[in-house]
Amino acid sequence: MSAALIGPEAQAAEPAAAPVTAQRWALAGLLGAVLLNVHHIAAWCLPVALVGAAWRIWGARRTARLPGRAVRIVVVVILTLAVLVSFRTLNGLDAGASLLVAMMALKLMESQRTRDWMIVLGGALFLLLAACLASQTLWLLPLYAGELWLLCAGLYAVGARHSQASATLILRAAARNLLLALPLALLLFLFFPRLTGSLWALPQDDEAVTGLGEQMSPGSISELIDSDEPAMRVRFDGPLPPREQRYWRGPVLHRFDGFSWSRVHADLGAPPPLEFTGSGYRYSVTLEPNAHGVLIGLDLPRGLLSEMPRVARSFDDLLLAGEPMRSAVSYRLDSFPQHRSVGALPAPLRELDLSLPAARNPRTRELAHTLRLASRDDRAYVQAVLGYLQDNGFEYTRTPPKLGRNSIDDLLFKTHEGFCGHYASAFATLMRAGGLPAHVVTGYLGGSWNRFGGYLLVKQSNAHAWTEVWLDGLGWLRVDPTAVLDTNQLRGDLDDTEDIAGVAGARSGIARWLLATGQAWQAVNAWWQDEFVSFNSSKQFGLLNRLGLKDGDYETLVALLALGGAVWLALLAWRGRGLEAGKPRDALGRSWRRLERSLRRRASARAPHEGPVAYGERIAGERPELAATLRTLTREYAQLRYGRRCSLARQQRFDRAVRLFRARVRR
Amino acid sequence: MRSSARSRYPFRPRARLERAVSAWARSRQGEDHAPLTLRSRRIYILPTRAGVVAVVLLFIMFLAGLNYQNSLALLLCFLLAGFALVSMYECHATLTGLTISSARVESAFAQGHGELQLGFYNAGDSTRRGLRLRVTAIEPKSFEIAPQSACLLSLRYEALARGRQRLDRLHLSSDAPLGLFRAWTWLHLPLEALIYPAPLRLRPLPPAAGQPQRSERARRLGGEEEFAWLRRFREGDPLRRAAWKAYARGGPLMVAHYDAPAGAQRTLSLQSLRDLPLERALSQLADWVLECERHGESYALELPGQSLPPGHGLAQRRHCLEALALYEA
Repeated sequence: MSAALIGPEAQAAEPAAAPVTAQRWALAGLLGAVLLNVHHIAAWCLPVALVGAAWRIWGARRTARLPGRAVRIVVVVILTLAVLVSFRTLNGLDAGASLLVAMMALKLMESQRTRDWMIVLGGALFLLLAACLASQTLWLLPLYAGELWLLCAGLYAVGARHSQASATLILRAAARNLLLALPLALLLFLFFPRLTGSLWALPQDDEAVTGLGEQMSPGSISELIDSDEPAMRVRFDGPLPPREQRYWRGPVLHRFDGFSWSRVHADLGAPPPLEFTGSGYRYSVTLEPNAHGVLIGLDLPRGLLSEMPRVARSFDDLLLAGEPMRSAVSYRLDSFPQHRSVGALPAPLRELDLSLPAARNPRTRELAHTLRLASRDDRAYVQAVLGYLQDNGFEYTRTPPKLGRNSIDDLLFKTHEGFCGHYASAFATLMRAGGLPAHVVTGYLGGSWNRFGGYLLVKQSNAHAWTEVWLDGLGWLRVDPTAVLDTNQLRGDLDDTEDIAGVAGARSGIARWLLATGQAWQAVNAWWQDEFVSFNSSKQFGLLNRLGLKDGDYETLVALLALGGAVWLALLAWRGRGLEAGKPRDALGRSWRRLERSLRRRASARAPHEGPVAYGERIAGERPELAATLRTLTREYAQLRYGRRCSLARQQRFDRAVRLFRARVRR
Repeated sequence: MRSSARSRYPFRPRARLERAVSAWARSRQGEDHAPLTLRSRRIYILPTRAGVVAVVLLFIMFLAGLNYQNSLALLLCFLLAGFALVSMYECHATLTGLTISSARVESAFAQGHGELQLGFYNAGDSTRRGLRLRVTAIEPKSFEIAPQSACLLSLRYEALARGRQRLDRLHLSSDAPLGLFRAWTWLHLPLEALIYPAPLRLRPLPPAAGQPQRSERARRLGGEEEFAWLRRFREGDPLRRAAWKAYARGGPLMVAHYDAPAGAQRTLSLQSLRDLPLERALSQLADWVLECERHGESYALELPGQSLPPGHGLAQRRHCLEALALYEA
């Protein structure tokens, strides 16, 4: 190497203290991560983090003394106690994230070396993970991606090893490497074998999940009616069932204490065998997280079509997942609206579904006796009770008056106003009082069609309650007492935007556009929920099936992973192939070779001993019509290659000139 | 020489392992000669401690995502894993294609420090960051090389014992860009330093042969020679010989030049130091050589079996010190 090349490029090493710019990256990354968690951590965390950051910025400006060890230990204890007081535990996502925020804020106060800042960035990455665990909503995705980018850039800035790289350079490097990592990440995401359950029990969140629950008391359903959140999405293989059959059967409530109905979890044996007739529907359901653990299906599912472990059929014909569903689940069912129980009702179940609290609702019992005496048989009794509800001026309202201790008596003889839950409760009580086994079924009624997503969206506001009555010889019969009331009002309330084409005709263009946009967004969201958020083991094998790998197992997955990973690694290695020879990606040389190739074809090749200028002169002699341009080009090349200055812009001009020249000689 | 080197460094398993692997690498790739471009075949890479911690943290993230059955968390974890792997490639690429254009080693006195100079050339179009060069036990040197440029790096090495010292195992590594991986290579360049005996003052200089009467002034100045004239100060001249008075009067800085009296030369011979152990005697001789050079005297060196004619100057100094370095009884 000639002496002229030996320059000041070698920079002296500095000790492991992180430069101020790197500290700013880490600080920004940490604050971003804290902000993404702000909705579920303790309220005091954000101020603590801000104080830590402010301290750090102030401390970086003037060389402030960082607090001593004793002070730090005291602060650690105080902050840990604060988390304990806020959450009563250190376990769980919210408490853990809060503790992490507090510790990172504290870490800022002692961070000096590169290693400390790497720890801060690692903590911020964990906070990003906590944010992902807390919420996977689609609109947050860009924020998560941005934060990840920022943190990776921070890793570069802190780890960049004593160089003052510019922000653009760092951001570009981080983005490039994240994009390079994306194929591998997707591959792992799709094919890494998933667990079908949890590794360890997750701490229970005390936060209430909206939706159907274990209990139904007067008013509990009307809370749901106000909720616009989705409950489930259903994609039918064939046509949709008619509107009046869209009863989505959820938790069945057997026990009545005079005020509220609740579920029975005891094992009361197998349900009476069922006979399914008529045509069935095959469909797949994505059920939002819920507390009841019931795989809700169209009344009545024959069985589960997809693989799901630990799913059992309960005595009241529910498919139980066995535990509350923490995240959305997907499953396939086939349902038959026409079905019939064959055989007798098991004695324990009959007993359960006939029991009524003693000394409650005396007038209701009296009414039941009167109506029962007037009816020929069970069927006539059901009709008589429905007729009573229809004829006595009962009204359907979403804001019913409060009911007393004898809630059914109050409803039937005082207020005459109620909601589906009230009427189902009253009807089931009357049935039981009249000697017919009956229970309340909670679930959803209806659903709105999303034409962008091609699915039926059932919202929480579709929540409904009805009853099932056992008639000897006929089995369980679904009776919806609310339906005999003012049905128009019921429909108007429960089926909102059933079909926008019809409704929208009357509305303005903007309203229609808004509706369509809303639906499109819902559809994208649904795709996100169905295909990404609830991607699991069974979807994984479904994907294998679609790829043509029938009966794939874990070995297939691992083989696919290995293959894909090898391809990815090979591509990465191929990207760096030019490095090997120690040659730069020589743009100038490429341009020159291009020029030579075109001259070789039309004139003669360059002799090994010929320099570029001499070659240019010779060809100029052979082809006088090209002489002027050719001389300029070869001189320019010699200048660029061997001259003192060689700016990139000039190289690019040269390249363009070569391309133009080639185009000219080609003609 | 090697045995003494080993005795100075007690048993250290890591160092021994490194030596063993390096020896294996050497048998694999042979001796290197500058200029040399690093091929990927000879570049090794392992995660650093930070890298191991990162793997553990990623695994914890992965478990969390798996347990919560949270797709987004899993994707995040996989993305980060991919990011780390890409950084592994980048780390490897900071060494691949780097050219070691020159290597030169300077002699040194035993137990002192010598200098090693290496020239690098980065032909690639991105900065090679986080480079570290380490030789023997001296603290490593960190540096980086801008795209398409060269750099000359001088590095201190620890001179061990008199004789020849091979510096054929240089450790060049990089932990860019994130510090999660360290790529390294061993350079087995034919670098051999001549280690002179450490100078040691035990005896006064032997008297010069045919010495005339010394003037009082000459004795006071500590020199053994006669004052001759004043000449311009040249860099390297001992300051205690500067004519400060003349300088203070506004003249140029002059130094007193002493001429060794004609024929006044010293013979430095090992024979005269028979009573000392060999190494100490050689050290004394080295000290005398330096002393004579300081005064600009001419001197001859006599060792059993070889004798160097009288003279002075850098060449004489080098010849004498080399002879001392290589002397075998």
